[in-house]
Amino acid sequence: MLTRLIRDLPQANGAGIVMLLTGAALLLLVGLPLLYVVLQAIFPGWSRGQLTGAFGLFVPLLSDPALLGLLGNTLRLGIAVVVVCALLAIPLGALRALTRVPGGIAWDVIFLIPFMIPPYIAALSWMLTLQPRGYAEQLSGLSANAFLFSFPGIVFVMVLNVFPVVYFAVSRTMMSVGGRYAAAARVSGAGGWRTFWRITLPLSTPGIAASLLLVFALTTEEFGTPATLGAQAGYKVLVTGIHERFADWPIDIPGAAVLSLLLVMLAMAAFYLQHWLVTRRSFVSQTGKPAPVERTELGLWRWPVLGLFGLVAMASVAVPILAVLATAFTGTLSGGLTLENLSLRHFEALLANRGGALQALSTSLGLAIGAALVTGVLGALVGYLVVRAHLRGKGLLDFLSLLPNAMPGIVVAVGLILAWNQTWWPIQVYNTGAMLLLAYACLLLPYPVRYASAAFRQMNENLEAAARVCGAGFFTTFQRILLPTLAPSLLVSMLLVFAIASRELVASLMVAPAGMRTVSTFVFGQFEQGSPGIGMAMSAVAVFTTTALLVALAMFSRKRLPIAG
Amino acid sequence: MQVLKPLALGVSLFALPGLATASALTVYSAGPGALIENLAADFTQVTGIEVNVFQSTTGQVMARLESERANPLADVVISASWESAVSLHDQGLLHEYRSPNAATVPDFLKSDHYVAQGVSALALVWNRDSDVSQPADWSDLTDAAYRNQVTMPDPAQSGAAFELLTGLLTAKGEDATWSLIDALIENDMIVPGPNARALNPVLQGAKSVVFGAVDYISLGQQAEGEAIEVIFPESGTVIAPRPMMILASTNMPSEAEQFIDFVLSEQGQARVAERYLMPSRTDIEALRPTLEELTLIEVDSEAMNAQREVILGRFREATDR
Repeated sequence: MLTRLIRDLPQANGAGIVMLLTGAALLLLVGLPLLYVVLQAIFPGWSRGQLTGAFGLFVPLLSDPALLGLLGNTLRLGIAVVVVCALLAIPLGALRALTRVPGGIAWDVIFLIPFMIPPYIAALSWMLTLQPRGYAEQLSGLSANAFLFSFPGIVFVMVLNVFPVVYFAVSRTMMSVGGRYAAAARVSGAGGWRTFWRITLPLSTPGIAASLLLVFALTTEEFGTPATLGAQAGYKVLVTGIHERFADWPIDIPGAAVLSLLLVMLAMAAFYLQHWLVTRRSFVSQTGKPAPVERTELGLWRWPVLGLFGLVAMASVAVPILAVLATAFTGTLSGGLTLENLSLRHFEALLANRGGALQALSTSLGLAIGAALVTGVLGALVGYLVVRAHLRGKGLLDFLSLLPNAMPGIVVAVGLILAWNQTWWPIQVYNTGAMLLLAYACLLLPYPVRYASAAFRQMNENLEAAARVCGAGFFTTFQRILLPTLAPSLLVSMLLVFAIASRELVASLMVAPAGMRTVSTFVFGQFEQGSPGIGMAMSAVAVFTTTALLVALAMFSRKRLPIAG
Repeated sequence: MQVLKPLALGVSLFALPGLATASALTVYSAGPGALIENLAADFTQVTGIEVNVFQSTTGQVMARLESERANPLADVVISASWESAVSLHDQGLLHEYRSPNAATVPDFLKSDHYVAQGVSALALVWNRDSDVSQPADWSDLTDAAYRNQVTMPDPAQSGAAFELLTGLLTAKGEDATWSLIDALIENDMIVPGPNARALNPVLQGAKSVVFGAVDYISLGQQAEGEAIEVIFPESGTVIAPRPMMILASTNMPSEAEQFIDFVLSEQGQARVAERYLMPSRTDIEALRPTLEELTLIEVDSEAMNAQREVILGRFREATDR
């Protein structure tokens, strides 16, 4: 097997070694924790070092009639969110890529913000806004309790959290497809709409399919929203079932591991569907000749388009942020939105605890940058390997790189603990900040991999061939040819990684070393202890800091950063 | 080679934080976070021993202990569920120690392997600005006036709420308890999740009363100006002691013992009282009603915990209807 692997690897330049290293890194980062989760599911006593009772849990757990309901609910939620996301974000992304939407890049920055608001904070914000006596009722007399705590309400809040994944994928893909082929179609006499339906949209399928797959996995894995809204709506999903096994004594890790494997299988099914969609035909649309995107002028249509962008920004950014700010700036929740209740005391408390708060903020930002860099490099390499290498088992690599998205954060965390908290490792990684970096890199690797492999699928192989003919080695080709072509997609995915890593909660709670706090664990702790005001104040500080960082980045590298379009 | 620069940066990020944890006492504690942070800081000041704190919910702390079984890292564990200490002890995981400072801790709050840090009780929490009148007892909430106005923490996710169920079962008997729960659900009581999630709607006024809230959180919020009242029902309530224990696997038993001694010292117990918990030592003044002032239901926890699945199953049956 190994000799065959080595034989199949591209020879000659540095490529073979890089690929071996990439494969090894992927196995270490994703394969290892997953292996430990599987072992834990098979051997209930694994964490205690016992190998008795293998497979003993599968039958009683899987024959539980309640499980079918959980599974059905999870599927229904995942599909509903994917459909609504597609309906909302594909038009938005297409408009952004192909027309001159007034505001341009500003919308990209705005639509990154939903990612920096932790889902449970967003859900809580909607609750504080829409429940009886909530902010909406205090301001306008309206409340929408029945809607919020229902299946459509959960879908609504989750779509607002995850639609940017699709928006960015669609707009980046269409920007790169849009130019030459659309121009060719226009020259051949096709109208604008016809070009869109027959050329641009079909050629963008890899990017769209990949992002919808991410949304599906993200939705089935997400815990914050179903836990906050679902419990009241009576809507239980698989993840809430998994978390319940961790929530209170006695802890049932083996049971949670078995249920996680079910989730992984769900994701596997979705993965094969997407794989089937994007490998049926060729989507090569980049031959290396530069072709500026010709953006359609919107004319009078710019007002309804602007309205649509504004409405989405309002719901996904303004409402949650305003609710966060309202809670942070009012002295008490029961006092409501009155002038007398206006208070800075939560920020004062934050300032008094600035050691803890600052440490949490810098830890989170540092880790998020680290995670973005690690996953960016690895994601580009894995994407290349999966699309380009003539290598057996690359399907497995592709699948492995998506898996973390299907595993609930808490399960990845447990897998990481089981794998790394062993005395036989030469370097003790466990109980250091590196565990958090490992966890983030593992959980978020799917983003760069998805975005990068979709980009590679659109790239003509002749580009590399040409580079090799001209005498470039693997590194030169990668750096001079592949990376620049890849950069728009990869950078956006790294920004997503940064945004999500800066607020990841579930895994952070589990693997953060004693004595280290991240923004999310800090905020969560405040809620736990009944100080929602301080928690919201910290959330506000964190969201504004990360957004400011991104805006600064976009300003400084306006020419080079593709997000600046 | 430009590709490798970020990699190198990432690797250096890996290496840096490793320095933080050398030879310090590691404490895993359930909330409140401010309490354990103050205790750790005071302890370091008094003894010079560094403390690393991991603070989370009881569930997270226990999940972490469980997944670290192969190589335990914690020295001292503070939980909010007495039963978790009993269970860890049954598995032989606890170090035997009786602190000299525990002399004035009542017998039922200490054993050879664990001792209470402080005690909380379960209560009704009522929003003063709500349209319903102040309830006095658990069963008041079945009245039609409280329709759609009551929340309760999920006993499957909150150990304290489970204790309340066992208390009611002990005091009222099975039939009366379950018909009370059924009547509450009939009255549109919601069960939204663990403690904080049950309390939140009541703070803003979406709901009016929490049935079975952990008292110290609400007392703290009341002190900060929230318009809520914490009511201990006259028919009796249950307490939730917070056990502290030393893991048998510790490399620093004497430092861990010093830590337990410190939490049970006057200074440490004053910190506990500050958070509106009852100090476990009876000779330390509390800022709130204490064990003597509350009507307590005595629960045979061992018998009740043996039936845990049955009780939770029956509760789920009521809520799923």
